[in-house]
Amino acid sequence: MHEETVYWYLGNMTFNARTLVMTWIAIALMLLFVFLGVRRLTSGKPGKMQNILEWVVDFVGKLISDNMDLDKARPLFGYLLTLIMFIFFSNMLGLLPNITFNAFEYFHVETAHLNKIFEGDSMMSPTADINTTLALAILTIIIVIVMGIKHKGIHYFHHFIEPYPVFLPIHAIDMLSKPMTLAFRLFGNIFAGEVLIKVILMLPGIWVLPGIIPDTIWLGFSVFVGAIQSFVFTVLTTAYVAQAVSESH
Amino acid sequence: MGNPIDINYTLVAQVLSFLALVWVVSKFAWTPLMNVMEQRRQGIEDTLAQATKERQQAEQIKREYQEEMKKARQEAQALISKAMKVGEERAAEILAGAHEEAEKLKVSALADIQRERDQAIADVKAQVADLSVAVAEKLIQQKLDYVGQEQLIEQFIQEVGEM
Repeated sequence: MHEETVYWYLGNMTFNARTLVMTWIAIALMLLFVFLGVRRLTSGKPGKMQNILEWVVDFVGKLISDNMDLDKARPLFGYLLTLIMFIFFSNMLGLLPNITFNAFEYFHVETAHLNKIFEGDSMMSPTADINTTLALAILTIIIVIVMGIKHKGIHYFHHFIEPYPVFLPIHAIDMLSKPMTLAFRLFGNIFAGEVLIKVILMLPGIWVLPGIIPDTIWLGFSVFVGAIQSFVFTVLTTAYVAQAVSESH
Repeated sequence: MGNPIDINYTLVAQVLSFLALVWVVSKFAWTPLMNVMEQRRQGIEDTLAQATKERQQAEQIKREYQEEMKKARQEAQALISKAMKVGEERAAEILAGAHEEAEKLKVSALADIQRERDQAIADVKAQVADLSVAVAEKLIQQKLDYVGQEQLIEQFIQEVGEM
């Protein structure tokens, strides 16, 4: 366990290299999955992959229509679908073993620190980096404000001083806490899950029962946690938007 | 491993990556997929509406058929009863005509018989008168021939019997 944060530098900008590479892998896997689903689109009898995608669309559509008017959320539908699937794929990526089998290290490929990025026992979830979750949370709050202004105009800001102007600080904290809780909840869950995987792998006797059984159990539970967290993030985004566009306050 | 909560330009990169992902997937996957689902929904709706319409039409046609059959049956019934009535009337008429004819025939036959009888009686009367005259003549011719009287009477009786 000597993994250290790998940085890429561009000008005076610093990037977490592992996070970026893992994000691109997650995106690539998700694109592969999605494009397999829409490869042979038909309004007749859908294939297996199309069926799965249609199930996801129905699931998210139901989730939205439970919270708000589906027509108001129409421009957000694609965003929310992408969001839930991206977070799910990201969460699952950290549960995969290191699929490069340390090949970069073995062949001394040091381009862009690839050998350091792919060291360790398992892959990493992009969502185990606060930068990723905070990025998604900030997008959520931007969408909330944009949708609020779009549907209520300048009156949207009126709710910050309701019922009295002295409530402005409370509303401001509410507005700040929304993206923060979103970001830290997802980050905390996934990061903790990965830490625990590493801890379990450090148990003595990894090749006999003490390591394998807890690892199996924890991986199974992490699949569950990852799915739940992607769901929670999407539901809360929907709920915040619904709150912003709803008529009465 | 440094502090895990280290916010740097990765945040910006993630925002851009995710927005790019949203754009690509929405354009190439979600929009066509949702169009297809909408098409299917529309298709099913159309089919259902079509089926309802066709069923209504079928029911309408069935009702019309039943109506027509009922009407046809009624007409047939009416025709039959009318024909029966006409037949009965005709039969009664014929019967009445026959009766009348028979009556007429009978009357005319009776009249004929009466006439014949009258004629016969008249003939007989005339003949008796003639015979009486003839007998008288014969009697006068053989007035003195007493012996031949019995013979004469016999002859007369015979002649009357032959008539």
